[in-house]
Amino acid sequence: MMRFIAQRAAWGVLIVMSVVTLVFFLIFVAGDPAVTILGPQARAEQIADFKAKKGLDRPVPEQFMSYLGLMPCIRKDSPKYLRDDGARGFCGILQGDLGESYSHHESVANVIGHRLPRTLLLASLAVVFELLIGLTAGIVAALRRNRWSDTAIMFATFVGISLPTYVTGPIALLLFAFLLGWFPFGGYGIDPLDHVYHALLPALILAIAGAATYARVMRGELIETLRHDHVRTARAKGMPMSQVVIKHAIRNALLPIATLIGLSLPFLVGGAIITEKIFAWPGLGLLTIESIESLDAPVIMAVVLMFGIAVQVGNLLADIAVAALDPRIRLA
Amino acid sequence: MPSIPKTERRSPSRLVAGAAALVGTALLIAWIVAVFPKAPIGPRYLGAGHASPRAGGTLVFSAGSNIHTLDPHFAYDTLSTAACRLLYDGLLDYDYEGTMIPSLAAELPAVSEAGQVFRFTLRDGIKFHNGREITAEDISWSLHRLLSKQTGSPGYPFYKSIVGAPAYHRGEAERIEGIVVLDTKTIEFRLDEADQTFLNALAMPFAYPLAKEHVEKLEAEEGRDAVGRHPVGAGPFAFSRWERGVQVELERFEAYWAPRPRVDRMIFLENISPDVASARFRNGDLDVIHRPSKVNRLFLRESPAWAPYRAEVPSPSVYAIGLNCELPPFDNVHVRRAVAFAIDRSKLERLNPGEVIAAGQVLPPMLAPYDPELPTKQVFDLARAKEEMRLAGFADGLSEPITVWVRGEGDVRGAQLFQQDLKEIGIQIELKMVSFATYLKETGKPRVAQAAFTGWHQDFPDPSNFMDILFHSRSIHPENSENRSFYRNPKLDEILDSARAEVDREKRLALYAEANAILADDAPWAFLSYAVDMFAWQPYVKGFRPHPVWLNEYRNVWLDLPRRRVRQLIYEQEEAP
Repeated sequence: MMRFIAQRAAWGVLIVMSVVTLVFFLIFVAGDPAVTILGPQARAEQIADFKAKKGLDRPVPEQFMSYLGLMPCIRKDSPKYLRDDGARGFCGILQGDLGESYSHHESVANVIGHRLPRTLLLASLAVVFELLIGLTAGIVAALRRNRWSDTAIMFATFVGISLPTYVTGPIALLLFAFLLGWFPFGGYGIDPLDHVYHALLPALILAIAGAATYARVMRGELIETLRHDHVRTARAKGMPMSQVVIKHAIRNALLPIATLIGLSLPFLVGGAIITEKIFAWPGLGLLTIESIESLDAPVIMAVVLMFGIAVQVGNLLADIAVAALDPRIRLA
Repeated sequence: MPSIPKTERRSPSRLVAGAAALVGTALLIAWIVAVFPKAPIGPRYLGAGHASPRAGGTLVFSAGSNIHTLDPHFAYDTLSTAACRLLYDGLLDYDYEGTMIPSLAAELPAVSEAGQVFRFTLRDGIKFHNGREITAEDISWSLHRLLSKQTGSPGYPFYKSIVGAPAYHRGEAERIEGIVVLDTKTIEFRLDEADQTFLNALAMPFAYPLAKEHVEKLEAEEGRDAVGRHPVGAGPFAFSRWERGVQVELERFEAYWAPRPRVDRMIFLENISPDVASARFRNGDLDVIHRPSKVNRLFLRESPAWAPYRAEVPSPSVYAIGLNCELPPFDNVHVRRAVAFAIDRSKLERLNPGEVIAAGQVLPPMLAPYDPELPTKQVFDLARAKEEMRLAGFADGLSEPITVWVRGEGDVRGAQLFQQDLKEIGIQIELKMVSFATYLKETGKPRVAQAAFTGWHQDFPDPSNFMDILFHSRSIHPENSENRSFYRNPKLDEILDSARAEVDREKRLALYAEANAILADDAPWAFLSYAVDMFAWQPYVKGFRPHPVWLNEYRNVWLDLPRRRVRQLIYEQEEAP
């Protein structure tokens, strides 16, 4: 088990590093961050000044090594650039320094610190909706299999999986916000309760695909489990059907759902990019779009790093969870 | 025979069920279409019904694009200015009539020596947001920051008439001689020459005082642009938080000298497109909207339910085609007049209903001495246009096409409207589309652009702000000319110079009226239109009125909360059978 985790973690680090490297160099292919940030009216000396301050005038490999924290700091605006003892310190990700955002004028950690709670609020609401809707629909469909309600639910899940959020999002905004006025028309709101109210509609939209998947998986698993001997035994003992389903069948059927939740966590964060854009929800997804548009390299890098780590950790956790839930599975 | 489990038996009803699901979905869609809710045509929320102003609440406003800075020394666009208006106060301000009133100054200044010296006394009990009392030294220090070369503020040209300001700006002097602090409450400004527009300049956000200790600390720690991100001013609202690209939050300043603002918090949302902002406004998520999208603007104009809660105000700006008076054929006044007479401006009004008014003179309608009956005003008159072409010696039209510089798609659509009009008098035009930066750079150089779409938005409500800057020969430079039509008229220069120094208001206006007539007649610009701005606010937003100078003015707003949802929404009328 430990060996498996160590092996997976090593692979994870390797994959995240490759992604980070790739994106770092891609940013320089995409354009010149200094020119993009300062705008078309910037004078040449302003651009040179900005580049010198941020270390963008150094060779790209040196910038990369410094970003990683393997070479001394090249950002002149960083306190690490010139320490009190006169030596140059390190200010890379290995030192836990994500750098300074170009367009937000504050540390990347601060920027992400502002945005992350909002994305987590949206994502956790979405998971709640996914489980509530998905599991209920799946259980109902399994218990009434091949009846019309089952067909209807399965048809609905098929539609739900097929419709992307950029279709359902605007329709929901038009119908439930603009025409019926039940929800706000996007945005984030002004106080905590208002934030939750603003999160409901985007979370619902974000949950559609997941709920549909869970419903289909749950239905299949439950039908499978209901045929098992221990269920038949329980019924034969005279246990009422509802008890059998709740105590024996659903618990067993939840196993693959646990895997799916683990796998879907990074995608809830990553997949929220489009949803956050549609609903103008100022979370990490919107931050990703904004930072790419303005070539805010430190923020892009930090977001890529976070998503990369989230995917790796999510996968690992899913594997471990399955092993923990089912002793027959050996991790090797 | 062993029984086959039910699940594995192929159900004969499966096909039927599938078909039923399809039919059901179709019926569902049909039902949704049939009972599809219609957009409400009135406000969704009403006020609580309080008669007298109440404190509290958060006012949410969409700024449309991004706010550039909250440093008044750099705020030169509508939105930054609107935000700075809440965060800062200046010596002078304007009331809702556009009349100048004292703000941080106790009263309007004592003017002496033929309008060259202005002495201000500060009000008692005025404080910066950090709690420190404002002194005359703060006013002086802020102007020194504004006018220094290191700051590089776009506001410098408005203050160069202060004695010693140019030398200080060039770095040749330590202090500006003409700014004299007499005691902690009194400050005097001495000018090189009599200039009545200096008071207007002092009322601009550029002259708003900043807290020295705060600015110096921030600039040392975070660089020059840091002040624009953490402002400390003396206005009715104090800075709370700015999340770049998302929103700016302000909160009520409790120690404000004037009646304290009643709204607790102000939120300026950034980065919202006009369409989304309009939808949010109609949904009740935004409290005030400025410049809704075209469709929503038409809707708000037509809707009787919104009528009490909207206002259309002419924006203090003018749009035109600038004609380069140094380059043929526009060095000939008859060709310029021909263009001015040939353009049918009503097309613009028809294309953008309610958004523009046809223009025939440089001054916008709310700015005296605008004259709707100006005898020389430019109007559409094809016969006179042809006559002017004949007088110019081009009875058969021009042999070469004219190159018109345009800044973007909006200009292109406008230009296409007039292409046909100009063809009628034998002038072909070719459009040259350039980026805004290139446009500014190249049209500011003499003898480059033959003609260009152009315009002006006022900095302060005085005719000199249009005429001196745009048409005085002093505004012609080898680069970055403000007079982009390179129009030189000694007579106009003389009128403008004497008007600038004239203390008597009636005489000043008479001089500007004369200049206005000359400019319409000489046609360095073929004037096209004035813009009209639209504001709409929710019924529970009280005391909001567009300001003639600042447009966005939220100092007197209060919210009639808690708002009530309208139970019986008025929906769009069903079509009559």
